[in-house]
Amino acid sequence: MLRDSLYSYQLLNPDDRLFVGLQNYAELLTNPDTLQSFGVTFGFAAGTIAVVIPLSFLLAVYLNGRLPMRAVVRTVVFLPVVTSAVVIATMWTFLLDPANGLINGALSGLGLPRLAFLTSKSQALPSVVLVTVWQQLGFATVLFLSGLQGIPNELEDAARVDGASALQRLRHVVLPLMGRTTLFVVVIMTVFALQSFAPSLIMTSGGPEGTTNFVVYNIYQTAFSLQQPGMASAISAVFMFIVLGISLVQMGLLRTKWNY
Amino acid sequence: MRSNKVLVVRATLRVLAAGVILAAIIVVFLLPYAWIVASSFKPQATIFRDLNPVGWRSFVPINPTLDNVVHLFTQRGVGRALLNSAIISACQVAGTLTLCSLAAYGLTRIRFRGSGIVFVLILMTFLLPIESLMVPLYQVVAHIGLQDTLVAAFIPWIASPFGLFLLRQAFEELPRELDDAATIDGAGHLRIFWSIVLPNVRTALATLALVTFLFSWNSFLWPLVILQSPENQVIQLAIAQSVAPGQLPNWGETFAGATVATLPLILLFVFLQRFFVRGIAMTGVKG
Repeated sequence: MLRDSLYSYQLLNPDDRLFVGLQNYAELLTNPDTLQSFGVTFGFAAGTIAVVIPLSFLLAVYLNGRLPMRAVVRTVVFLPVVTSAVVIATMWTFLLDPANGLINGALSGLGLPRLAFLTSKSQALPSVVLVTVWQQLGFATVLFLSGLQGIPNELEDAARVDGASALQRLRHVVLPLMGRTTLFVVVIMTVFALQSFAPSLIMTSGGPEGTTNFVVYNIYQTAFSLQQPGMASAISAVFMFIVLGISLVQMGLLRTKWNY
Repeated sequence: MRSNKVLVVRATLRVLAAGVILAAIIVVFLLPYAWIVASSFKPQATIFRDLNPVGWRSFVPINPTLDNVVHLFTQRGVGRALLNSAIISACQVAGTLTLCSLAAYGLTRIRFRGSGIVFVLILMTFLLPIESLMVPLYQVVAHIGLQDTLVAAFIPWIASPFGLFLLRQAFEELPRELDDAATIDGAGHLRIFWSIVLPNVRTALATLALVTFLFSWNSFLWPLVILQSPENQVIQLAIAQSVAPGQLPNWGETFAGATVATLPLILLFVFLQRFFVRGIAMTGVKG
């Protein structure tokens, strides 16, 4: 039963593709909205990673030290990870509200100009990136933390005996050893970001002007609002191969032995 | 003397820096929650008034009212949605545990041709983004006639490759001598499974149960696709609906909904943090 249930949906996609033919794919490649949607999604993934990786690494280093309130910080940072994407998207829609949002309230309280955030073409995507960073930071930090805890203490101790400062130890001992973990976190975050859906639906409806029209939202709209399951399947297939490719690269890289 | 002074200054700076980082983290991560929870006990006008300017009043309900929560349960069917979510999550947890533990037993304890290939094939499905299977999956479920039923909301996910992966690892770690001893005592597969293996992998089962519950409770896209009628609504859909574009949202009510939907998970998380962090970290360990 387990086998069948997993097989059947794997087999269904090729069937679909056969029926609809290549026409959908041709259309997909020429449709500016679809292309924009792929572009936006990759831009979103890149932006998220550029922010989340350095932040979570630093946070993990911080949490790995002997500091007070470590447990509290870890719990607090992990809260958004167990909160649903819907609640987070809802929460931030209101936090970022141009008229009555908390963030704009705080900005004007500090004498700064109010920002349009989600309703502005140039600010919508960066806003969604920040929300996603906020959501995923705890997860990335936990992954980095388990990587850091895998580094034998002797290495750092040896460097300390040799007179290396904390910064030098971080730069020359810890950082090179974390290559594999970093790669791992990057791939996981990429796959997560690519699968993002709730922000598009709840926060922006894909707008303004398609600037937050993520692929999964595009698939959803195409299939269930526009009633074009064939086209949606074509987009799904392309999307699936991209994500699959990334996951396979990850598996390959993790299998290879890394020498330090 | 001088170097001593420098050391003291440095130590003070370090404590200060740590304090600032700590405060920043807590502000950034807790204040949004505080605002939402506090505002869910306020009428709309008060929420807006307390933001102008932002101050401690924004995060404390001074004259708390339960109107929002009451209205949610009496008018918006949130009680029903919570119940549906609970039913779906419970069934999904039970189904996943049953199916995955049986499959893991079969794959680790019964020798048969091609068991390695079966495992690899199942793991492959782990790499596929579920989102890309939404359309074909919808067609299958609609074809069977399960569309818009609570069963459809959890049945596709109980054959969880992640669950199998997690349990297989736990099963592998259990020494086979235990089984052998039981076999000599005349125990069959079911007996070994129930009395020997399962009691020894309780941590893994608890981890899987929690992670499955978390994903089921928080899932959004699939229920959105497959459930239509209001009596089948789940909690995440109910919240999403109250912010649907084009509607004038009632802030306090939406916040109350978000609070109600998140509270069970936050409580579970705070008490069972260890399992959660372990389990969620493992969802990333594909392959």
